[in-house]
Amino acid sequence: MAKKVLIVDDDVDVRTFVSSVVEDIGYKPELAKDGEEGIGKVKKEKPDLVILDILMPKESGIKMYRALKTDSQFSDIPVIMHSGIAKRTFLRSQKALDEFGDQPVPEPEAYLEKPIEPEELGATIKKFLS
Amino acid sequence: MSKLLLIDDEEGIRKVFSISLKSDGYDVATAASGQQGIDLFQQEFFPIVLTDIKMPGMDGIEVLRRVKEINPEVEVIVITGHGDMESAIQSLHLGASDFLTKPISNQLLSIALKRAEERLRTKKTLNKYANDLWNMVREQTEEIKRRYEFEDKLVQRSIDGIVATDKERNIIIFNSAAEEMFGYTENEVKGTMNAGDFYPEGITQKISDVFAGKDRKASDIFVGDEASVIAKSGKAVPVRFSCAMLYEGDKPIGSVGFFQDIREIKRLEKELIKSERLAAIGQTIAGLAHGIKNILNGLKGGVYIVNTALKKGAAGWSEEDKIDYSNTSALPLQSRFLKRAADITAERERQQKKMKTGWDMVERNIHKVADFVMDLLTYSKEREPEYEKYNPNIIADEVCDLMESKAKECDVDLIRDVDREMGEIYLDPKGIHSCLLNLVSNAIDACIFDSDTQKQWHVKVRTRCEKKSCVAFEVIDNGCGMDEETQSKIFAEFFSTKGGRGTGLGLLVTQKIVNEHGGTMDVASQPGKGTVFTIRLPGKKV
Repeated sequence: MAKKVLIVDDDVDVRTFVSSVVEDIGYKPELAKDGEEGIGKVKKEKPDLVILDILMPKESGIKMYRALKTDSQFSDIPVIMHSGIAKRTFLRSQKALDEFGDQPVPEPEAYLEKPIEPEELGATIKKFLS
Repeated sequence: MSKLLLIDDEEGIRKVFSISLKSDGYDVATAASGQQGIDLFQQEFFPIVLTDIKMPGMDGIEVLRRVKEINPEVEVIVITGHGDMESAIQSLHLGASDFLTKPISNQLLSIALKRAEERLRTKKTLNKYANDLWNMVREQTEEIKRRYEFEDKLVQRSIDGIVATDKERNIIIFNSAAEEMFGYTENEVKGTMNAGDFYPEGITQKISDVFAGKDRKASDIFVGDEASVIAKSGKAVPVRFSCAMLYEGDKPIGSVGFFQDIREIKRLEKELIKSERLAAIGQTIAGLAHGIKNILNGLKGGVYIVNTALKKGAAGWSEEDKIDYSNTSALPLQSRFLKRAADITAERERQQKKMKTGWDMVERNIHKVADFVMDLLTYSKEREPEYEKYNPNIIADEVCDLMESKAKECDVDLIRDVDREMGEIYLDPKGIHSCLLNLVSNAIDACIFDSDTQKQWHVKVRTRCEKKSCVAFEVIDNGCGMDEETQSKIFAEFFSTKGGRGTGLGLLVTQKIVNEHGGTMDVASQPGKGTVFTIRLPGKKV
């Protein structure tokens, strides 16, 4: 059975594009449009990889990322952050949250800044799944 | 001891008088003729001269004339013969202080002398007074001169141009700063030009009114308006102008204008505006680039999907699909062929679906770019509202109809609350429609972005008539709300809280349209509670 990739993004264009790339390289895309729905899908579908946006309504990518990485059941699932926010900014926010008393959380397995070329996205996905 | 010169041709008289005068305490010198007397007087000053009139050679009248010439201070007492009133009067005319008539008694002589001495003393005192007075006048004059020069320097050295006029408004002072500023010399201006050539128009009129007594209540100081003065070169010089009336008691006697040269300030202002404009252009370009980039990504994604679908969907029979007749598989050839054909058709259908998805994405983003460009145009162009008779409620209904499906999709109740009393007013239906649409769309977004999923979200669109024939549209939501920082930025160009989805132009365009209507827009918001946007339009009733 094809491996599952969960795509969490509020922008329908991004979801469509990324899922198309995922399909083209032979994996099965699962979609969620915010963090809340994303966590639900993780529990239900047990994806092999998560591609996660940061700025989303309801529950943000930051919150969902920390929820994943602090849950021993899911912390091994690799996460590709895929956002318009610069990596530096994201890492700084993580550091601030770590210091704030939350449990320290490792850096995401990969960080891709939007916009992303299909080839690079495909290559990154393959790196974790093959 | 007073000195005295006695001139008489008769030796006897000289002797007798000398003795008697000496005993009275005088230091007496004698001369036997007029000429001798004059010679003595020239060598030495005698305060009192006693001279006989009738003398051979130079007579007493001539002596009197001469000594007065030599020293007008001298007291001359003439001695006339009995009955010679004429000489006595003549000598008094010529400045003699007294006369004695022969025969002379000692008593009369000493009275005359005492009187002469008295006069001398008075004269001395008077002289002293006159001297003192003169000194005082001189000192005062110098003081006044000093003050005048000081004040003149003050006026001349002033950095501000100073122009003073008399009550006919002729220019009487034109200081060097004014010369420098306006290019005229003081001499060119004095007597040929008047206040009207330099003062701002309104002020000249006011001053004339004050002089004419028409406007006694008028403020007599006019402060700090910016004006421009035409210089000799024909160029307008920007100045800050103040003016004061000059009074003597209650009577206006003139005016003085102060001109502050603000050319440099104006130049700096211009430069500042220029650099601000450049900064704004930079910001605008960055915002534009951001907005376009987001849409471009959508377009690129769509194109990618369409392309891959095209490629795959075009795939038909390939080399490996060629039927290998040597293969003696259990499956009959026909059925294998049919299965393969069905697979290809299914794949083509799948790719066609995908192509549709990709194409939708392209279309969606083309719409976005069109909207973005329209917003930009609306924002950047000065536009007069196209007024029509229209009922504001209709606009509210139209907008609600349009947004109904989006609201439903997002689990938001869209509530209409229109004021049925509302009549038609003059407004630009298209403009107000897009404003309201923007606010409602924002309100729904605010609900989607709310993290409190327990809430039943709603967006209420309200219209109402307010006092003073004013129409208000309210868009009320119970979504995520805004903190103060966000509220302070919402009308900034390209500011958006919606990540890649917002262009940061919506509220800007809305506010612009409302302002063009002469209306106002207010916002009240509380984080986590919701937001109220209110548009108020001055309702020109039909």
